[in-house]
Amino acid sequence: MVRDTVIQWRARLSRYRLVGGKCRECQKAFYPRVKSCPYCGSRSVDDVELPRVGRLVAYTAVYSVESEARSGSPVVVGLVDLGVARVVSEITDVADPDKLERGSQVEAVFRKLYEDGDEGVIVYGVKFRPRR
Amino acid sequence: MSVSVKSASMVRVGRHYKVGVDDMVVEVADEALSDAGWRKPDAIVVSSVVYPRLSGQSDLASYVASSLGFQGVSAVAVEAGEASGLAAAMTAARLAAEGRRVLLVGVDKLSDAPSSVIYKVLKGVYHMGSDGWYMISHSAIPGLLADLYMSSYGVDRNTLSYWPALMHSHAKLNPYAMLRFAVNPEAVASAMPVAKPLTMLDSFPLGDGAAAITLAPAGDGGGIATLAAVESAVGPMTVAHADDPLDMPAVRAAWGKVKSATGVNSVDVMEIHDSYTIMAMLILEALGLSERGKAAEQVALGKFSQGGEGPLANPSGGLKARGHPVGATGVYMLAELALQLAGSFPGVRVDGARSGLAVGINAHGSTAYSALLVSSN
Repeated sequence: MVRDTVIQWRARLSRYRLVGGKCRECQKAFYPRVKSCPYCGSRSVDDVELPRVGRLVAYTAVYSVESEARSGSPVVVGLVDLGVARVVSEITDVADPDKLERGSQVEAVFRKLYEDGDEGVIVYGVKFRPRR
Repeated sequence: MSVSVKSASMVRVGRHYKVGVDDMVVEVADEALSDAGWRKPDAIVVSSVVYPRLSGQSDLASYVASSLGFQGVSAVAVEAGEASGLAAAMTAARLAAEGRRVLLVGVDKLSDAPSSVIYKVLKGVYHMGSDGWYMISHSAIPGLLADLYMSSYGVDRNTLSYWPALMHSHAKLNPYAMLRFAVNPEAVASAMPVAKPLTMLDSFPLGDGAAAITLAPAGDGGGIATLAAVESAVGPMTVAHADDPLDMPAVRAAWGKVKSATGVNSVDVMEIHDSYTIMAMLILEALGLSERGKAAEQVALGKFSQGGEGPLANPSGGLKARGHPVGATGVYMLAELALQLAGSFPGVRVDGARSGLAVGINAHGSTAYSALLVSSN
């Protein structure tokens, strides 16, 4: 299966800088940036950099991992509330997933996401880690 | 739109290493066509998700029609992720309502690649333009939802374990089910973790499957059941965009459309999309059959089981234990319900059932389909 390097390049702003969209009509913010509002369908959407600190709403440790994550199992994934919007992200720098606390603060960090298996391109982006 | 289901056939879900998609399709198609008394249909609608992505085969419908020797028929494949089978049924039913004799085939192969590759393919049912950047596999989002469900409603892990136990008790009697053995609720929490708090016993086995039904215009006479409606609705593509991630607005909307199209407000039996225990809970609640946060407790107390209150849920054993051959799953649901209504389902049976509901979703409910079958006699 080919990871499309061009697709990932195009989405770099959202991935690198947490750029989402904010709807001028319904006022909702969302991630990632797109030109139409997924909530109300409005086309009046501005780019907005989302807050880089949020609250961990829910989390899971994934053991039934996909092929590229076999060396990193378990993968910790969280639903993060940034106040204006929520995001699904990997939670990194977690020594023991059982000690994560729901409701605790997490902050965005720039990390390697994966290597494109066919092209060898390394894809980077934001993950979240527990705030110390 | 009301069309007649003339026949239904299935192969047992399992890891059929020696059998390819072609052979599995021939088996179910021949049985369904022979039972319908047709030599050849006017149209074939095919549903498959994993197989086309592993094999690289495009236009699978023509591939299937051609391998069956049906030159000249219309053939179309329909894909809606995990809801593909019922999405294909929506197309098939409308082709039949226009007067065609339609063969609906669901087929998929999950044993053709290692599980980590299958999980990578199945991750594609989620939002690949954001959530899919991460190693979410197929189970991370259900894991998140289960974590959120337990903390929001104060439901403990063991209360969720009665669903898989109920599914296994049904599958044990279904000759087409992949996992035909009983499971104690106590065993679920301590099984191998899949995405904590969910374990292997909360999730579907990776199996191959093929199922087929034949559909004809309502006036055609005969038939084992009537497909009264198939409707669908889209929900948020990622749980991050959901106003309430524990709600499934798409399920409610699709069922709402079926209710207003048919005037039917309750059913005797249902087959719902329990890819993971948490999905079954959220579907039961979205259908209005349980209060929010109460489904797990009600299942533990016997609701939705044979002789219990509420429509019987998943006499097949569900995705959990019958299996979830992704593209074929919705067609299995329809075949099982049609046989239930005809009184000939070879497993747990609902005596005198007059109506059956199939509910299929993709992922966490980014789309939902609802199909109502009613008894023909």
